[in-house]
This record gives sequence, C-alpha cells and structure tokens, in this order.
Amino acid sequence: MKLAHLADLHLGFRQFDRQTPKGANQREVDVAEVCKRAVDDMLEQKPELIVVAGDLFHSVRPTNAAILYCFRQLHRLRTGLPGTPIVVIAGEHDTPRSTETGSILRLYEALGVEIAVEEARRIVFPTLDCAVLAVPQQALAKADRPALRPEAGRPTLNVLVTHGVYGGLGEERGTVEYGGAELSRELLAPEKWDYIALGHYHTAQSVATNAWYSGSLEYLPPNPWGQLQDEAAQRTTAKGKKDRTGKGYLLVDLPGARVTFRAIAPARRHIDLQPVQAAGLNAKELDAQIAERVSAAKIDDQIVRLLVWDVERAVARDLDHAAIRGYKARALNFQLDLRRPEARRALGTSAGPGSRRQTLTETVRDFLGRRPLDAELNRETFVNLGVEYLETAARAEGEPG
Amino acid sequence: MTAIGKVVATELKPATPHQFHFWTATDTSVGIGAIVKVAEGGTGGTGDGGRVVYGVVTEGFAYSDLATPLHDVVGAEGDPTRADEAPTARQQIRYWTAAVLRQTPEEPLQPVPLGQVYVADDADVAQALRMDTFLFSATPTAIPVGLYTSAGRDSPVYLDADFLLGPEAAHLNISGVSGLATKTSAVEFLLASIFAHFPAHKGRVAAVCFNVKGPDLCFLDQPGDLSDEDRRRYERLEVPSEPFQRVRLYAPLKADGVNLNTLRTHPDLVGDVEPLTWGLQEVVDYAEVLLNRDDIDAKADAFIDFLRDRVLGRTFDDGFGTTHRVQTFADLDRFFRAVFDGLEITAGGRSDTWRTHHIATMRKVRNRLLNISTRCKGLVTDDGPSSDLPWNGFEDRTVYVIDIANVDPLGQDLVFARVVSRLREQLERRELGVDAVIVFVDELNKYAPGDGPETYVKKMLLDISERGRYLGLVLFGAEQFRSQVHRRVVGNAGTQVFGRMDMDELATPGYQVLTPATKSKLATLPIGELMIRHPHFTQPIFVRFPKPPVLRGRDGVERFPPAADVPFEDAVVRQLVRLDRRVRPNQVKDLIADREQDDVRRALAAVRRTRPDDVLAYFRKVLGARVEPEALLREHHAVPPLNPISDEPY
Repeated sequence: MKLAHLADLHLGFRQFDRQTPKGANQREVDVAEVCKRAVDDMLEQKPELIVVAGDLFHSVRPTNAAILYCFRQLHRLRTGLPGTPIVVIAGEHDTPRSTETGSILRLYEALGVEIAVEEARRIVFPTLDCAVLAVPQQALAKADRPALRPEAGRPTLNVLVTHGVYGGLGEERGTVEYGGAELSRELLAPEKWDYIALGHYHTAQSVATNAWYSGSLEYLPPNPWGQLQDEAAQRTTAKGKKDRTGKGYLLVDLPGARVTFRAIAPARRHIDLQPVQAAGLNAKELDAQIAERVSAAKIDDQIVRLLVWDVERAVARDLDHAAIRGYKARALNFQLDLRRPEARRALGTSAGPGSRRQTLTETVRDFLGRRPLDAELNRETFVNLGVEYLETAARAEGEPG
Repeated sequence: MTAIGKVVATELKPATPHQFHFWTATDTSVGIGAIVKVAEGGTGGTGDGGRVVYGVVTEGFAYSDLATPLHDVVGAEGDPTRADEAPTARQQIRYWTAAVLRQTPEEPLQPVPLGQVYVADDADVAQALRMDTFLFSATPTAIPVGLYTSAGRDSPVYLDADFLLGPEAAHLNISGVSGLATKTSAVEFLLASIFAHFPAHKGRVAAVCFNVKGPDLCFLDQPGDLSDEDRRRYERLEVPSEPFQRVRLYAPLKADGVNLNTLRTHPDLVGDVEPLTWGLQEVVDYAEVLLNRDDIDAKADAFIDFLRDRVLGRTFDDGFGTTHRVQTFADLDRFFRAVFDGLEITAGGRSDTWRTHHIATMRKVRNRLLNISTRCKGLVTDDGPSSDLPWNGFEDRTVYVIDIANVDPLGQDLVFARVVSRLREQLERRELGVDAVIVFVDELNKYAPGDGPETYVKKMLLDISERGRYLGLVLFGAEQFRSQVHRRVVGNAGTQVFGRMDMDELATPGYQVLTPATKSKLATLPIGELMIRHPHFTQPIFVRFPKPPVLRGRDGVERFPPAADVPFEDAVVRQLVRLDRRVRPNQVKDLIADREQDDVRRALAAVRRTRPDDVLAYFRKVLGARVEPEALLREHHAVPPLNPISDEPY
C-alpha cells in the first residue's frame, strides 16, 4: 500500500505586506500554490491512502479564500483518486479553543474526507486491510488521552496519525513551535505500528525508522532560516540524503515503511545570504560588502536575509539606506539583520591585586579607540588628537604658575 | 568489696605497666575475659590510698608443687585408680595473667602495684573501659552493645557513637563462622540499640541493609520470640524489645515485571514491599560495574562517556539518516542496530569505525549494557521508568532493606554500587534527609576480597571505609573470614566484633595479638556472646547481647510462607490496591483486558512514582483510553459531481 503523508500546510497563512494583483496576500497565495503542487504530484503518484497530520489551516477561522481553495484541492483529490481515503486531523493551529466555536474542517466531510478534530478516531479501511488511528492534538491534551496503540488482531496494517512535539526536536535552532502536545517513544511505541505520521515540526525528520514528520510544504514560522540550517545539518550528517532537500511530503510503502521524500518546488526561495562580519568596518565599507552580497544572488521576488555581525550603532545609522530600500523593493522581503557587538567590559578599570592600574593616557586611548565614530572620521587620527589634547592639558597643569 | 586475689610478681614474671599476674582461691568466679581491679593501699578496693589499675584476664594457669609428672606416677605406683589416695593433698594455685585496661592516675605510668584484686562492678567496668568520658558527659554518646557477664557480673557495655558512626572514627566489622546467626543478629540488635540511643544532638540516622541471602532481613518489622532472660537483658540495656517500627523493604520484580522477587510475598506482608526497578539512565551511570577487568580500557571508557554525554536523553543523528532519542534500553538497542547497519549497509562495510570508535569496542559495550537488561530483567526495565529509593526523603530511625538475594550476581553488584554511590552523593549534598546512614553489607569476603581483581564495588567499599566517616556514611560489614577481606576495609573499621571463630582463621597473622586462652574462648564462643574491640577499649572485651527483637528469616518464612506467583492481572490489582484500598479488582481487570503487558507495566510504574490521590483514575489516564474502531457508514466511492467553484479564490 502506498500512503501519502502531509502535514502543516497552514493554508491561510499571511506574511509580509505584499499583495497579488487580485489583492490577496502574496505569501498566502504561495502557501496555496505549493499545496496545489503537492496535490498535482499526488494525483500522479496515486497513493492509496492520504493522511494530513494536522495544521491544514493556519488558524481556526481561516480566510474564505483559504477555505474555498482547500475545498477545491480536496475535491480534486477525491475525484482524481476516488478510491483513496483522506484522513485529516486538527493540529494546534486549526483546533478551536472552545467547543462552540466548531471546526471548519468538518466542511470537508461532505467530500468524504475523514476528519478528527476533538476525539481520536480509529478508522478501518477493509479494502486496504488498514486501520488508521487519527489522534488530533486536542485528544492528546485531554485528561483521558487515548492509548496510542493498534487494536490487537485487527487489520494487517496499522497507521497512527497525530500532531505534537517529539522530545527535544527543533530546540537547538528554535524551529519547533511552543505549545504542542508532548510525544515520546513510550507514548507512540513505534515498534507496534506499521507507520506513524506526525505533524507539527516543519522539517522532514524521522524519529524512528517508521515514524516521521513530513514537515511543512513551505518555509513557515517558527524560524524558517533555522529550518534551512536544520536541512543543511541533515545533509552534512546524512550523506546521500540529498533527496530530502527543501520542502515536500512523504510517500510511504507499507508494510516495511519505506519512505520516499517527494520534494515540492517552492513558490519562491528563501535566500540566506552569506553573513557579513562588520567589526572594524565603517559605513561605506559595510555598504560595499552588503552590495556585494546582494549582487551575488538573484534576490528579485525572493525572501532574503542578510545577517551582519558587530555593527556599531553609528555605523548602522550611516549606512546607505536608499540602497537598502532598493533591495527591499526588489525582493519580496529583504531582511537586513544588523546585530550589535556584544557589550565588552572595560578592561583595567577593576584591576585586581597585583595588576597595574592604567594611566590616564592609556584609559583615554582605550576609550577613544572603542567609541562609536562617524564613518568619515579616521579613528587613528581621532585617537591621537584626543591623546595630544590630554597631554597638552596635563603639561599646562604641571607647569608652575 | 571483698578481695578475690592478690597481685604477685617475681623476677621471672614481673608486673609491668601493661600486664600483671595474680592468684585467686581455687574456687573463684574469675575467668578469661573477666575485668578485675587492683587497688593499692586503702580498703575495700576503693584505691583511696593510691593507684587503681583495671585489667582484663587474658590467661589462666593452675599448678601444684609437683616437681615433675614422674613424681606423681611414682606416688600412685603407676595405678591411676590410686592417684587420689595420696595421704596429703598437694598445694594448688590459680594463677592468672591480666592485661591492663586503665590505670588511675594515668601519669606517671608505672608497673601495676602488688595490691589486692577485686572483681569489677558496674562503675569499675565503666572506668576500666573508659566509658565514663562519653557515658557521663554533658552530651552523652553512649550506645549499648551488650552486657559484660564475666565473674558473675552483669554490667552494660557501651560504644561511643562518635567512634562508631563518625566523625572521630567509624564503621564496624563483624567476623564469625556462619550458621550461628551471630553476625546478622548482632547487627540487628546493634541497629535497634543505635535507633534507641543515638543522641539527638547528632541528628537523624537511618540504615540501609542489603539482604543477600534467603529471607535473612525480610522480617525486621515482625516480632520474634524472646526468652525472659533476653527481655531482662533488654531492660538492663534500656533498649526496647520491639521490632523496628519503620522498615521499608525494596525488592526487584521478577521477569514478568509485576511479581516481586523476594521471599516476603505472603499476602499479609507483600503490600509493604516496594518494587525496585531501574531504567537505562540509572544503569549507564554505573556502567563500569558491568565491565570486568578485561573490558576496562580507555576505548570502552571513551565510548561510554560518548554515550552519556552525546547520546542519552538527547536528540542525536547517527549520521546514517536516523535521529535517535535514547532513553530506554529498547532505544539503545535500536541505536546500536542503526549504527551497525549503517556501517555494514550504508558504508558498504568499508569502515570499521564510527565517530572514531571501533566497531568492536561498540559491540562490547553494547553487549555488556544490553546483557544486564536480560540477566536482571525485573530489576532493570527494558523500556520504562524507574522505581527507586526515596533519595531526598530518608526518614529518621528507619531501616531500608534491599532484597537482592535472588538477583544475578552482576545485578547485585549494580544495586550495591548504585545505592551506595547515591547515598554518598546525597550525603555530600546534605540532601538525603538524614545525617548518618549505616550500610550493612554481609559477605564482605565476596565484595571486598583481599586478593582478586580490582572491581568497582571493591573500590567503592574502600572509598567508604576511608572517607565515609566525614560524610556520615558508615559501613557495617560482616564476613566469615576476616583475613580474606581487604586490609584497608577491615583496618578502617573503628569497631571490630568477633563471634565464634574457626581455629584455622584464628591461626592467621591477624589474630597474633590474642593470647592462646582468648583464642580458645573465641573458638568456643556460645551464640549471643561476642568479643569487641573499640577505640576506647585498650583490650578486647567479651559481651553478651540479647537475641534481636525481630523475626528471624527462617522463622519468618515458616510463619509467613511466601505466596506463589499470581497471574499478571492479579499482581497488577494487588499493587494498585496496596496504593489505594478503594480500587476494585474488577475495574482494574476490565481496564487492562486486551492491553499489552508492557503498557500496563509502564502505567503501573507511573502510578507508583506519582502516588496520586485517585490511583485508579491516574492509572486509567496513563494507560490511555481505548479507541473503538469505527465501522465506516459509507464506502469510499467517487465524490458525486459537485458544481465547480466558479472562480479561483486567489
């Protein structure tokens, strides 16, 4: 049996103040577009079961456009793959906080989609000889949490679909959202399942050979840049795993849980330019470096970040902001992330026993050497001039009057 | 006070500052081990006129004026039946050698005066054994250890708590042949005495006893049969003749994970036994225990450190495409398999190292670690949480018995190493809940032998012996052959106790300081009598102690026969009912029907660890609600044609 595992589509997600010609938020359209591409791919791959492991929508009350769009895509799947059941669970984004709010997901039951919003459901598909335990995020948080175990002696294949955070996944780079239901190996018991489809963590990742997060279809918060780094780290540790680059969904062959990552072409790229080390640079030099980084990449209509380390406040003030505005106009979003230098403790001012106290001249030289300075000033000349003034004053004071 | 003898000194056998000789009447109460007093001048043995010397009898002689044995043969004309027909009885002498216990005044130290000899009374015994310093001080630290009963006396003998439980000296070692119940009984009585007399100003005290043989220590909370004589001795020593009021018994589970691996499984008593189960984290911290001498090398150490620092409890990418979070033995097994498969399949078998660790080293460590979960199944849970001693809440005057009698020897070492190490850590941080802990270890021959390999357990026992007294960690060790226990373990014991000894053992160099008479007495010592060496006593002293006020192991098994193992469901019910009497067996059985035993065990462990108010509700919660399969009302046919949405929404 071929199973398609998607999660974290976040339809209706909006970001940045950019609109399409029809007035929609550009990022919302991007998210919808990759969803459509995933559906296109599934119609080609013809999985026999499709599971969506939570966060189909970005919010409990998504935009009308998102609801309609989702309806169209699910309709395409149901008509294109009539024998393929679709199971959707609610994640923490599309779970209503109170019962009376209701869930828009129920709408899709009209299309024959199996929906689990509050309670866990064990859905048996006799023709597939498969049972799916669909456990929405809400059910995991309840006091009478369901036992995440297959029924003994029931269908041959058993699949668990749920949404939550597994162990310390994503903590290193802050790429996992706070507040998900806690999952653990004891809770999931992967050895008892043929496959476990997880949602919540936005990077494709296995937690056991047969338990996977499919990741999101787009680079979405939290920390999409960290997700890029997560992927890079996976590439460096997992040689020969380049097929997992980018975003996509998983195709799983059962039994045996042979997982194939189906990459989905992004609507636009996230480009993390090579960071700049600005310590010791004046504004003009830094402008030049920024321009160099930007010119090396095709940033037009892309989502771009340039990280600049150790930028003094005065240097930041004197940057060529007209040029920066130009970059921002070209990219869908250009984030110039200027990081201040870490506060340094003045050395020599709290000398311990046995250490030499700085002379006044040394103290002044040290201070002027660190003081923020206008970009056009030459620091060495500036420091020498200050020291000269001081020595002149000292001589004047010392002369007998 | 009537004199019973007189000190005599000749040129050949003079009185010295540490030894003297005296004679007594033929019919005397004095014997080996008796404490006597020599008073110089004065009357009635008060010593008013001068020096008073206390001594303990170490040797006895009887002889007459017979020149040679041949004279007696000739006198009886060679006929033994006529030997008693001699017209005059020969003059006899009872002649004793005593070792000096104390002189007053102590300076100047002089030879023992040739004064009259008296039998010591209670006050004299206290003086002789220097017990007055801790018995009558403003903050007394006296712990009764038994009664001095020689020479018809019945005087309590006390040990100084500062020298028994630290900080001045510490530790107690007891030797004796097995089978007389002397060693265990003596320790049980001494614990009762310590709990009754441990001075308040020294804080709180608890005891941890490892039960390594049969049911020896399984019934410390049950009363035993005491004779009137025993009760009188308890009264005399001012120790209550009652079993221990607070006993916490821990035993690992059997391989089924629910029945307890102990002989205290009688239905009336099993409820008081806490399961002792450990997981991977608890074991890996003491992985060195599992490695024998041949295994210990820098490579294995480095790999174990790597596991501890980088793998356990962390998200770890093995480099072959799988991310692990190793928290249980099952996880660890999967981790190793993934790495080995990775090396053999992904790397095509071209490499035999992974992260600088050789595959052979990894296989060795894997085998040792996973082996323990197989050999000690029940103590070490394969994949579940642990149930442990209350490391932050030890209670005052409580005995914690850890029953590892039926555990694999490797598991025994592990339990011992971990428990003692944790005790030391908690005492160092002052977070144990008590100020001093007595650890009773039987069979020191086995755990700290004088020869043999340097094991982790031996190193730890040496460490306790040498540093424990500063922390309040006190070792009460027992063994059959003291000569075969590591010298530093025995030597660091401030108090040495000897029961009946084997003559072969007494012939070893460690007993050369004892006189032949003392050795003879030790070799024939009756049950209930001991010889004690203590820092305050300058010579060994013989004391009698009453039978301990608790049910002996063998009697306990007869009175409370162990129950047969119960089926899984009943064992689960029993454990839950023990935590909450309101739990109804049928509810539990319904709840766990068709559930996997692993899941039930895990839920049970969670309940034991959490101790919720509503046990059944919590058990149900951890177990998780059952999700019934749904019968799909509709088949997954094609979706009926719907009117297409007129326009693309975006």
